[in-house]
Amino acid sequence: MNARNRSTDLDLSRWTRRRLRLVGGALGVGLLAGVLGTLLGTALLTDPSVARTKTFALGALCLGLGLLGWSGSVFAGPGIENMHRHLDSGSDWSETDSRRAMARLGGFGAGVMAGVVLAAQVI
Amino acid sequence: MISRRFLLKRLLLLVPVLFGVATFVFAMLHLAPGDPARLIAGRRAPDAFVQQVRTELGLNRPVYVQYGEFLLDVVRFDFGKSYQIQKGAPVSEILEARFPVTLELAVLGQLTGIALGIPLGVLSAVKQDSLTDHLTRIGALTGISVPIFWSGPILIMVFGVMLGWLPTFGRIATTYTYESVTHMILIDTLLSGNPAAFVSAARHMLLPVLVIGIYSMALISRMMRSSMLEVIRQDYMRTARAKGQGANITVMKHGFQNALIPVITVIGIQFGTLLGGAILTETVFSINGVGTLLVEAINNSDYPVVQGTVLLFALLFTLVNLGVDVTYSYLDPRIEQ
Repeated sequence: MNARNRSTDLDLSRWTRRRLRLVGGALGVGLLAGVLGTLLGTALLTDPSVARTKTFALGALCLGLGLLGWSGSVFAGPGIENMHRHLDSGSDWSETDSRRAMARLGGFGAGVMAGVVLAAQVI
Repeated sequence: MISRRFLLKRLLLLVPVLFGVATFVFAMLHLAPGDPARLIAGRRAPDAFVQQVRTELGLNRPVYVQYGEFLLDVVRFDFGKSYQIQKGAPVSEILEARFPVTLELAVLGQLTGIALGIPLGVLSAVKQDSLTDHLTRIGALTGISVPIFWSGPILIMVFGVMLGWLPTFGRIATTYTYESVTHMILIDTLLSGNPAAFVSAARHMLLPVLVIGIYSMALISRMMRSSMLEVIRQDYMRTARAKGQGANITVMKHGFQNALIPVITVIGIQFGTLLGGAILTETVFSINGVGTLLVEAINNSDYPVVQGTVLLFALLFTLVNLGVDVTYSYLDPRIEQ
């Protein structure tokens, strides 16, 4: 019983770590992109609030697309996989890959948005 | 029987979908060119006045504060107040008045599509390669290929202008008055106990419903035909016939329900398209529904109205798809697994 509990704990921590790494990596890159985007925009444009708004909106666009893509993959992914198998289309598209890609995109978007907030506080 | 776990999973998935749509719409509106404050103040207004309008609308606050407040308001189903369309009126009130109009149109169009498409699809499959089949297929192909913005004016020209049988715009003749209770004109005129007003509303509704119905019918009949053709070749259908069951009973009792599963998917997905199609239909027939409201709101940079409308569309679309999933598992319990 204890061994089983320990193995479940290990599985859960591995499961969480893997997902955190996936989203966290994209979030970090997004954060950097958000800060740089805001600073660059502020330097190039006359109105710094425009730079902040547009960079933040771009990040929100990525987050929105990521969320919609992720939930779309969960909703329809198995069906699409079955359809590919049924049609023997030779596609290597899978629900898992799609979810991972969308989680990355969403993480990146959230990172950009956080980056803009951070840059705005610094400026 | 639908399991609670299945239903709960589907309902929980609505949260990221709606959050995603809300974020996406917010982003699109802030990336689009045009300043709502400038639009409201007027092109020649002094900068100080534009700034004052911006402050009044709360657009001078940092974008992330606006985003956070927007999300909080969405959770409370409060979409804010209209900037331009009905200045100061709560968006929820505007939607409450306009949404039933679109819903009535889309539901009637969809029902027309189902009522025509399913029998035609079954008939086409049962009488495969006959003249009926060819005619149905040509009709369906035409229905799919012809866009609403073309079929609408053509129907107006034929039935409204040339033959003069049906009215071409609006929802009811101006001579009739009725009390607006549900904002669905057919129900309201019925409730008001005025048969002449009901007939007038039905006549006004006929062309727009037909435009949506033809498009919907085309896809449904195509899908029903191919699905039915696949089912009637199954072994169990042959077995039922070999046991002496009549052809019609075999098709309707054993074939129809199984062939219906992919058709229901199409109907569910199509409902969203029909709501989008209602935007065009409403514009062509001058109907004051959510479609025309959305176009007006986009043209006027009325952020709260656009956000509210799109979120309402998204909510309805996801709920319809949830309904489709539930129907699926009712028709074939294996799908739930």
